[in-house]
Amino acid sequence: MRPIAIPTSSRPAISLTIALWVTLTMVILASIALGYRQYWPSAIWRAIFAFDGSESAVVITTLRIPRALLAPLVGAALGVAGVLTQTLARNRIASPDTLGINAGAALAVVASSVWFGVGSIAGMSVAAISGALATSLLVFGVAASSGGFSPIRIVLVGVTVGGLGYSIVQIILTTNEAQLKELLFWLTGSFADRPISFAIGGAPVVLVGLMVAWMLAQPLDALQADDTTAANLGVPLAVVRWSGFLTVSLLTGASVCMAGPVGFVGFVVPHVARRFVGLGHRRLIITSALIGAIYATTADVLARFIIYPAEAPVGAITSTVGGTVLLILLKRRVA
Amino acid sequence: MTEATTEATATRNAVISIEELSLDYGKVNVLHSLSLTIPRGKITVLAGANGCGKSTLLRAIRRLHKPSGGRIFLEELNIHGLGEKALARKIGLLAQSPSAPEDMTVQELVRLGRYPHQTLLQPWSAGDTEAIEQAMAGTGVGDLRDRRLGSLSGGQLQRAWIAMVLAQETDIICLDEPVNHLDLAHQLECLELVHRLKEQFGRTVVLVLHDLNLAARYGDTLVFLRGGKIVATGAPADLVTEELVADVFGVQARIITDPVHGRPLCIPLRLSERQSS
Repeated sequence: MRPIAIPTSSRPAISLTIALWVTLTMVILASIALGYRQYWPSAIWRAIFAFDGSESAVVITTLRIPRALLAPLVGAALGVAGVLTQTLARNRIASPDTLGINAGAALAVVASSVWFGVGSIAGMSVAAISGALATSLLVFGVAASSGGFSPIRIVLVGVTVGGLGYSIVQIILTTNEAQLKELLFWLTGSFADRPISFAIGGAPVVLVGLMVAWMLAQPLDALQADDTTAANLGVPLAVVRWSGFLTVSLLTGASVCMAGPVGFVGFVVPHVARRFVGLGHRRLIITSALIGAIYATTADVLARFIIYPAEAPVGAITSTVGGTVLLILLKRRVA
Repeated sequence: MTEATTEATATRNAVISIEELSLDYGKVNVLHSLSLTIPRGKITVLAGANGCGKSTLLRAIRRLHKPSGGRIFLEELNIHGLGEKALARKIGLLAQSPSAPEDMTVQELVRLGRYPHQTLLQPWSAGDTEAIEQAMAGTGVGDLRDRRLGSLSGGQLQRAWIAMVLAQETDIICLDEPVNHLDLAHQLECLELVHRLKEQFGRTVVLVLHDLNLAARYGDTLVFLRGGKIVATGAPADLVTEELVADVFGVQARIITDPVHGRPLCIPLRLSERQSS
């Protein structure tokens, strides 16, 4: 008798997950060790467990470790936000970037910091998450209005809203030169020079977002089909959509707040993850979180060497890669 | 055969009873105070001209539209009191043009049918595996399980979708124009499959078809609708008459008996002046 293939074939899934965790650990260690100056594992060990106040120990604990924690958090958040956006929009070129959600979160942060002097992490998070939520509702609302919710339409609306958001950011910035330089670097997306409190503050938000996303996995599977089919299967459409938007906003907002808008992570990662595990969201979400974390951390390490000894903003790297992938997909008409 | 006995049997075997159902889209009244019983283990075909409300009635049975009046009972239960998943375990519906990602595999699609049987803590059980294997075997898509939907022919795709609804393991299966966009051979293949859903899987099938001859051939009971009302209900032989066809479809036709299947066969002649009745 032919053995029945159990769809949740767990063995390859587990070995893939282990491989991804090992890779992630390695790139995180590389992110601590490599840069303008290289540190041996022994120096890292001493800096963490036997802090002696030496220059290397200070660099490792105050510069390298915060960004080695921030990068995977942001990558995981954006990777999963990308999966949710693509499923909710039923569109493989949707992502927090192409739907303008990144831009909306960035605008909210810039506006609240310039106009209301918001500087605390908590304040910025609230601004970023609300900005992300308002933008996703605006984009989905406009795309769904005036007849039919089409996949092309939602991206058109998203790109327009995103462009609009960044234009307003530029207007605000040109009238506030004092904060220009600091905000400009933040706006290209970077994990550098963030205090560890960013990672510590952002981690719970990201973890909550990832958990909610994972809990939505089954209805999201069904939502890949059309609305009638999903409703026929018993999916409460409105509840799932609203929870989905909230989760995307939470994840995107938190990552924008921590690192600025790091471009195209949420767009590329789901495509890569689907190649490994297919379309089922339980595995897709976990795999996208891990691949997103690896991708962002690797990009952050590369950013230190591409124009060595200077450092490139990581958002420039992820956007270059992401833009290229988008072009290839569009040419192949996969998207 | 007396009419009284047929009616009494129908009521006893009714799996769905619709009582004075009315339904509006915005201000437009689509269904008017319509009553109907759907017999268990049979194929009931809703037929009528375009815009007669047959698809709306089908979707109302699956509670995809909220009625403005009347009630629908599933056995003894009012369907409006059932939870989402509970109802999805009783009645399955395949939309007229369903869609799913082109890179989804057949097996991934069929798995979706198990959604109403799953919980967060028990995402997949041995029963789920058995259900999708049976559904794929029953619809002949087992060999296509790893194929992507975008690579299937129209007929294969329709079988994959029917497999999904079959995997849902509902007593009642509603199919909205399942043979639209299919060529003659695949129309036949699809309706033979629908017939097997009844014979082999013991399901009650409610079907919307606009082809009167296919309706007469595969339906055990026909329901003729016109302008959101039921004009007539009964066995094909009693229903497909020259008068009713003229009344419901606005076509003058000759009705003969199909020499192969013994079902009525309608030969349309010309448009008729529709009589108001």
